[in-house]
Amino acid sequence: MVNEGPTEKKHVKALVIGAGPAGLCGAIAIAESIGDGKQILVVDEGIVPGGQLPKQTHKFFGHEGFYASVRGFEIGEKLVSKATDLGVQFSMQTTVAGIYEDSIVTYDRNNNSVDEYTADYLLIATGASERFLVFRNNTLPGVYGAGAVQTLMNQYKVMPGESFLIVGAGNIGLIVAYQLLQAGANVKAIVEASSKIGGYMVHANKIMRLGVPIMLNHTIVSALGEERVQGAIVARVDEHFKPIPGTEKEFVVDTICLAVGLQPSVELVAQTGAEIKYISELGGYVPIRDENMKTTADNVYIAGDLSGIEEASTAMIEGYIAGYNIAQKITGQDLSEKISTMKDELIEFRKGPFASKVREGLKKMNILFPSGGYRERTQQSTGPNGKLRAVIECPQAIPCNPCETSCPTGAINVGKNINSIPYVDYDKCIGCGVCVMKCPGLAIFLLQEKEDYSIVGIPYEFLPIPENGTIVKLFDKDGRYVADGQIDKVSVNRKEKTHLVFLRVPKGMENIVRHFDLAINSEEYVCRCEEVSRQDVEKVIDSGITDYEEIRRILRIGMGPCGGKTCRNVVLQIIAEKTKIPISESKLGAFRPPVIPLPIDAIVKSRKGVDKDE
Amino acid sequence: MGRLVEHPILNVKVSGAAEHMVFYFEDQPIFALPSDTIASALIASGIDIFGFTEHEHARGFFCAIGKCSSCLVEVDGVPNVRACITPVREGISVRRQIGRGKPKW
Repeated sequence: MVNEGPTEKKHVKALVIGAGPAGLCGAIAIAESIGDGKQILVVDEGIVPGGQLPKQTHKFFGHEGFYASVRGFEIGEKLVSKATDLGVQFSMQTTVAGIYEDSIVTYDRNNNSVDEYTADYLLIATGASERFLVFRNNTLPGVYGAGAVQTLMNQYKVMPGESFLIVGAGNIGLIVAYQLLQAGANVKAIVEASSKIGGYMVHANKIMRLGVPIMLNHTIVSALGEERVQGAIVARVDEHFKPIPGTEKEFVVDTICLAVGLQPSVELVAQTGAEIKYISELGGYVPIRDENMKTTADNVYIAGDLSGIEEASTAMIEGYIAGYNIAQKITGQDLSEKISTMKDELIEFRKGPFASKVREGLKKMNILFPSGGYRERTQQSTGPNGKLRAVIECPQAIPCNPCETSCPTGAINVGKNINSIPYVDYDKCIGCGVCVMKCPGLAIFLLQEKEDYSIVGIPYEFLPIPENGTIVKLFDKDGRYVADGQIDKVSVNRKEKTHLVFLRVPKGMENIVRHFDLAINSEEYVCRCEEVSRQDVEKVIDSGITDYEEIRRILRIGMGPCGGKTCRNVVLQIIAEKTKIPISESKLGAFRPPVIPLPIDAIVKSRKGVDKDE
Repeated sequence: MGRLVEHPILNVKVSGAAEHMVFYFEDQPIFALPSDTIASALIASGIDIFGFTEHEHARGFFCAIGKCSSCLVEVDGVPNVRACITPVREGISVRRQIGRGKPKW
């Protein structure tokens, strides 16, 4: 057969690699500026566009302009439909296999075909990959990256296990822990090698009040199991992060989730010839670029985690900055106003304490971002007694202001610098609860002192939605049981799914109670066969019946298949506790035969005179 | 391991049994949803050992987004298929890959 020669190269004005928040916003910026999305191709390995957004079920921080208080997967859907409406072309399940001097080679898994492209401009937004951690048996099935667990659970709705150990208390580890609890999993602990929680305190508070311990100065030393994870050994670490012998603890878990950070995926940008430099504050090797997101290679721009590990809001903004710069060159029109608006946004998002690493890292490329200019003090007053009102437990300066913008009476102030810690004007607050449902950190509560009890309103994102009047167990901010309470009422928020549950709590506990648990699931059983609880037994004793035989007849305790072998002593113990009469002096009750259930036909067969062959 | 049956935020309802499909893993039929990847369908069925290294160590998946190559399986005889980002298709035969797999020329 005649060689047909090289395949024809396809040409696009802009090729965007990566369909995450940065790539999508870049494509949107170019498309809306040049008025023709068909000239822009977005290539991504994934099955659906959105990058890591489709697996984010939590609400984003930030401000309305960048979808604050909207859940990540919904942001993904919005950006994808915006790009699609502008005519942007997508090539999913397609990997850029290599960037050569004369062409960009893509591999389409779905069609099992290779294509060659040329592009006037490249926007590379390949994101990051999860860091691996070295410990014994770390390759056992059941050791997953935190993002992998999110993908499986939130995108494919499949749980990889039942009980989890999370390694790393940065935002990803904290968020995954919360999402696992929402999906009904058991999170045994989060271990964190450093001496402080790296993520936002509001994220940490969400899981601490649910009772998940965060073990600081601890790391994982070994996964246990032959062919898959059956447990984990953790140990305390010294100041050099080395495990201290003798401090090991064992956890029975079936899944270990590594949330130890991300590293930029630089392999493709490196192939363009762009300069790469190791800047630890930005997550490792990153491309050198200017404030317009242009790399040292001609016509090659970057955005998002590839340019430094940060988060999705800044990835979107960087995408816009890169996109408008590319569009400006393609069309020759002046887009400097849009570009500087986006740069101002970036400055705003990077003023706070959590952006200090990014600021330090960018300084090494001579890109300077200012810090400060925000309120750092938390409000001390929790408002006037007796009035239904909001209290905000948001102790760190993070760039976020939906509490302010959602408040219908203008009672909450964050201010122009969105990193400021919010303040409530209690003259204006009417206790409507809108901010409670909007706050992405679930850090706002409602309080009201009544005559005989107090009301605490808490944001609630779990199942089931409790019924009014239900008796519940009350927990403090560290997940410690403090008292019993009652569901007063529930404001169900079907659209946004953050409900507001009003609890009746004992007076004086309005600043303590921050979580509740439906008590029905936590019965203490005495009799396994007949499912009789300690409460059942105590109720009968309280009614004046203290004889084991009597209790047995009333509750069927000891009348199940085990014949009382398991429960008799426990019941006698409870009788002794309640009556203060020692077990030795109380009546033991009869031991009736048979001691195990006997098959009737065995008895029949053994009867005298019966022919066994009959 | 298994599918979520309820969730406070996400819609996890599956529409109709007719949408189920079947593929084979080590000759055993596995039920899957059209939205599944090979990896999600296997884990939903309680299978998380996707292969063995050439030193006979079990491997599952690690990153779920096509980056780590820990989840390589053989699909219809073709090795090095990333189970985590490959949608299931009716009737495919998936096998645990051992080592680098045997390329089919």
